[in-house]
Amino acid sequence: MEFLTDGALLDAVRGLHWPARRVARGAYHGGHRSRRVGSSPEFMQYCEYRPGDEASKIDWKLFGRTGRVNVRQTHDDSEMRTSIVVDASASMAFPQPSMDKWRLAVSVAVGLAAVTQNDRDPVGLVVAGGAGVEVLPPRARASTTANMLRVLSGVTPAGSRPLAPVLPMLRTSWRIALITDFLGDADALLDQASELVAAGREVFAVHIVAREELEPRELGTLVVDPEDEGIRRPLDEAGLAQYRNAFARWREELAASLRAAGVVYQLAVTGEPPDQVVRRVVTPAATAAATPSQP
Amino acid sequence: MTFLAPAFLFAAALVAGGVVAIHFIVTREPRTVPLPTARFAPLQPVRTRSRRLRLQDLLLLLLRVLAILAVGTGLARPVIDPPRREVARILLVDRSHALADPAEAADSVRALYAEGDAVVLFDSTATVLRAAVPDSLAALARSAAQPRLSVALIAALRTASEMRERADSIELAIISPFTAEAVDLATDSIRALWPGGVRLVRVTARADSAAPAVVAFVGEPDDPLRVALAGAHGAGDSASSNVRVVRGTPNAADSAWAADGARVLVHWPATHGTPDSAAAPAVPAPWTARAAPDTVGALTAGGVAVVAPFERWAAYDEAAGDGAARVVARWLDGEPAAVEVAHGAGCIRTVTVDVPSRGDLVLQPRFARLAAALTRTCAGAATAAPLDSARLAALAGETGSTAVAAGALPQPEVIRSTLAPWLFGAALAFALAALLLQRRTAGRTVPLEMGRGE
Repeated sequence: MEFLTDGALLDAVRGLHWPARRVARGAYHGGHRSRRVGSSPEFMQYCEYRPGDEASKIDWKLFGRTGRVNVRQTHDDSEMRTSIVVDASASMAFPQPSMDKWRLAVSVAVGLAAVTQNDRDPVGLVVAGGAGVEVLPPRARASTTANMLRVLSGVTPAGSRPLAPVLPMLRTSWRIALITDFLGDADALLDQASELVAAGREVFAVHIVAREELEPRELGTLVVDPEDEGIRRPLDEAGLAQYRNAFARWREELAASLRAAGVVYQLAVTGEPPDQVVRRVVTPAATAAATPSQP
Repeated sequence: MTFLAPAFLFAAALVAGGVVAIHFIVTREPRTVPLPTARFAPLQPVRTRSRRLRLQDLLLLLLRVLAILAVGTGLARPVIDPPRREVARILLVDRSHALADPAEAADSVRALYAEGDAVVLFDSTATVLRAAVPDSLAALARSAAQPRLSVALIAALRTASEMRERADSIELAIISPFTAEAVDLATDSIRALWPGGVRLVRVTARADSAAPAVVAFVGEPDDPLRVALAGAHGAGDSASSNVRVVRGTPNAADSAWAADGARVLVHWPATHGTPDSAAAPAVPAPWTARAAPDTVGALTAGGVAVVAPFERWAAYDEAAGDGAARVVARWLDGEPAAVEVAHGAGCIRTVTVDVPSRGDLVLQPRFARLAAALTRTCAGAATAAPLDSARLAALAGETGSTAVAAGALPQPEVIRSTLAPWLFGAALAFALAALLLQRRTAGRTVPLEMGRGE
């Protein structure tokens, strides 16, 4: 897949950062503010000295002004382990033969991985498709993005493997990005995402939609769900309006549900430059849109 | 219109009916395309048939039905019935060398001919006049060939088969001088195939036709050929003879005799030399003596065939010979055995048939007939006498009406349907048009009115 080796996307996302939405809980030192008290020079608070505290932490100037012995506490910095989950079910291989949905999903995954590496955070990959589940554990090595490219280039979307069972495997990651069309197990995925958010994880959802899904061109035909041959319905001019309404309503309800659960939701339509999708996902504005709904 | 094989027409009608039924009964599932969001398309109940008929569909159906019917009709071999008459005539007109005046024969034909009748000109071959009969009669000319009634009767039978659908009865008339040479061994058998009487119209024969050959023999007294010729022509008188058979080498007087009148000088060498012998060749060029004589086994001349181990000692180069030379006898393998060349008012005939001096072949009637054929008068002159009354009566057959019911005549071997090729062409055109229309329709979006619910 030649589009995976296109360096234009990596150039476009160079310099971008993906800040944490909340204080990080990573075990290792990193670029994000940690919930732990640490040794960074950034002041956090004063605490009354208690036996056992380090004497070097006592703020002697404050003692001279107030006569109280307080120790100065500062923030600690932590890494943000990130996992990118890519849906490789048959519905992503649409439209044929260009597979625009899969191309956009892969580009967005690579772009997010590159941005994560810009922040020196470990990033991993989970691809769930007809051939099984392929996992690349989060790594901060420079070769991680290249490894992700290698794995994604060997995947052909097929089958109808659900994504929800994959998410419990990612509890060691503090940030999870789902890149999917939500046409498989949307409800189960929403439940799992809600649990992850409740467990303090940051969950991002990139909803991949094809232009041809928004505006079908093949009218007067029998449309068939590639993941479920039993879904065969005629689609003509008369039914097109109903189709559009139903699909739009489903997207709105899905976005609302995910945002209500604390998931950062972004819609990505094929034909859109993937670096713009990446920018929308990682910018704080997108994060802020979901923040008021956080529990 | 008549169909020669109507079963095909009924079969085509059945197939066409089936196609129409299938077109209206069977519903076709529209083309399927993958769409991951198919679940958002509205549900529609399954219906047995709700597909709207479009003009293209009806046109496609029409083209298919027309193609099938055209093929079936073509296979049924339609024949357009011609207008039927009460009586049609087949006029056999002799134009051989026995005919004295072609105009007389043409007048006889005109007296009998009506539009739609068939006219067959015959001599040793037969030609059926299919158009411009009056013009052909006006230009009727005598040929140099012998008359052959057998050939004419065969042509009449074939023509009658073709005409049997055009008339209730068919009459056969023969306009001819009716010389004896027109009849051969097959004539009676062929005549028996005509199921009725024949009208005979005699016209004048050529004056020389009635002149029989009177043979003068120049050779040894004990020559076996002399015996054979005596059996064929009777005793000859050299003073009144018109055929002179020279067994040696002809001299200038012989040649002058032949050229002086309508006489035949037959050079029939009794002995012959070989290429390496000192003696001069017994026959002139382009005859050559064979280095190794053979026995070809059979000989034919003037309708007479004799099977015997004749020694073939000479060869004739037809390519090098005189263009006016006429082969009058051939060996079994087709090589010339006797050749005739016009010479003044008469002709000189060279015969290279070895007459066996042993055995009784020369005494047999078949050899006498062969000798008579080889010593007949020159080509263009009929040698046969008028047909005797008994043969004429046999040829005329039953008295009374000469019209034969058309149904009594044999069916033609092959009946051509002139419409069939056009129908097959039309079927091909309909099929191609249907194919093009089908492709054009398939490339277009088809509005749906049916679907399969879940």
